[in-house]
Amino acid sequence: MKFIPDKDILLFKSCLVNVEYPGVESSTCYIFDRIDVDYYVDEKQSCCTGLGHYYDLFDQISTTALAARNFHLAAETGHKNIAVMCATCYAILKKSAKILNQNEEARNKVNQILDDSNLENREYTQGDMDPTLNIFHVAEIFFNKRDEISSLVKVDLSGLRVATHHACHYCKVHYNDTIEGVRDPNLIDKLAKAVGVETIGWYDHKSVTCGAGFRQRFTNKEASLAVTAEKLQALKDNKVDLLLHMCPNCQMQFDRYQPYIEEKLDTEFNIFHLNISQFIALALGADPYKILGIQTHTVPIEPLLKRLNYSLESNEKIDVEAKKSPN
Amino acid sequence: MKTIKLKKESVQLVKDVLKDIKASPDLGIYKCVQCGMCTSVCPGARQTDYDPRDMIRRVLEDDETVIDDDNIWNCFSCYTCNSVCPCGNNASEINQILRQMSIDKGEGMKKIVSFTAYGDSFMELGVGSIPSNFFDVMVKDIGPGYMDLKINIEDIRTDLGLGSYILPEKAIDEVESILDNSGFKDRLKKIKRCK
Repeated sequence: MKFIPDKDILLFKSCLVNVEYPGVESSTCYIFDRIDVDYYVDEKQSCCTGLGHYYDLFDQISTTALAARNFHLAAETGHKNIAVMCATCYAILKKSAKILNQNEEARNKVNQILDDSNLENREYTQGDMDPTLNIFHVAEIFFNKRDEISSLVKVDLSGLRVATHHACHYCKVHYNDTIEGVRDPNLIDKLAKAVGVETIGWYDHKSVTCGAGFRQRFTNKEASLAVTAEKLQALKDNKVDLLLHMCPNCQMQFDRYQPYIEEKLDTEFNIFHLNISQFIALALGADPYKILGIQTHTVPIEPLLKRLNYSLESNEKIDVEAKKSPN
Repeated sequence: MKTIKLKKESVQLVKDVLKDIKASPDLGIYKCVQCGMCTSVCPGARQTDYDPRDMIRRVLEDDETVIDDDNIWNCFSCYTCNSVCPCGNNASEINQILRQMSIDKGEGMKKIVSFTAYGDSFMELGVGSIPSNFFDVMVKDIGPGYMDLKINIEDIRTDLGLGSYILPEKAIDEVESILDNSGFKDRLKKIKRCK
């Protein structure tokens, strides 16, 4: 298996984690702090362009030039290893690193763009970033330290019926780098096991996309949500309580749209959605509102916590209504 | 031994595809045996008339009409085709190259004009986001809680111990300058004009 680092890590910010599920970032930091992962968050790091890239709005050279800038930021602060929370960041950064290493013409073009932008000190040299040895999903970092995670578990989650949704842009784009299965992915099943939860394992549709399809959710909504609905039905048929995610875009597709699909199809799925970082943090005893950030979810997580006899201190719940800006 | 010789003029499109910056050096399009694995696992093919196997055949047969075929816009970019291909081909990647060709020709711009707000906010903040023009429909679909989230996101992040997600001014200037010199700014302007 490939070497997975636990130090010199740039925790790469994701646009959808930022504003949709920021609890994924705080949960990741919570876990990293407890398993001695040395990481850094850089406020100067730009977004990977992922959504724009797959809307076909961004051209490859622009995406690659921004990646080169971010790779340089990682190196200059001594954090040459990048760990992402979003599967699309993972795919985009690996693709950009491959282009920069393998395509001399593109590399020269990117360096010219950086020169023209007065960033000649940020020029990319072939081999600066190894797509396989320097770019990871945080789930891989957890997997490498799963024994340490196991030793820290405080909350028993074993009563839940759990399934996993492995993000396509982690498993299927650079599949030679994927660990724990591509067609039958088990990376987050094994992470659940590390915190004492046996998942249902394989199910029909396990490796199928969330259905977001980037433009499809907006321009082809019926087809997009039909894919999501089929997967939700397969999960319901398996009596699943909770689906674990590893990508904020997948999480949005399921969590934000599940109630909408339920209404359209006049059915109930009643499936909770958590990112694997949130799930592990929960098992380690993290606060649902101050660390997991469940207040940004559309499908409420409170009923799940109640089932676990989790004491919800209502005074700690962030009252969104009361926090509305005065205007 | 008998060999199949492709006529020189019948390979222009596939050559252009392989020359594209997006094309991986090991892209196995010439090895495609038309087995149809890609189409059989494709969510786009399941829901629409998109057919990745047929798309690859048309590229290999130099059928340029595939570039402006509406169906190429039904790919979900999930790369399931890539992950099951026995020949090392990548229909998803080729789809993206064909879409860019369609955009360069002009026709494809109409397909992406509704996503231009993403480019504006990227240059303004240095981070991407769901294009603002889709916001109203999302609030309608998801409910008023989604609006509350957007209003309160900075406070929620503070409560979670996270800093601002917007880049410092100097970093935004760098990003904007890169996107100016890479040609993205002009590209965005051009795409907006086809509204």
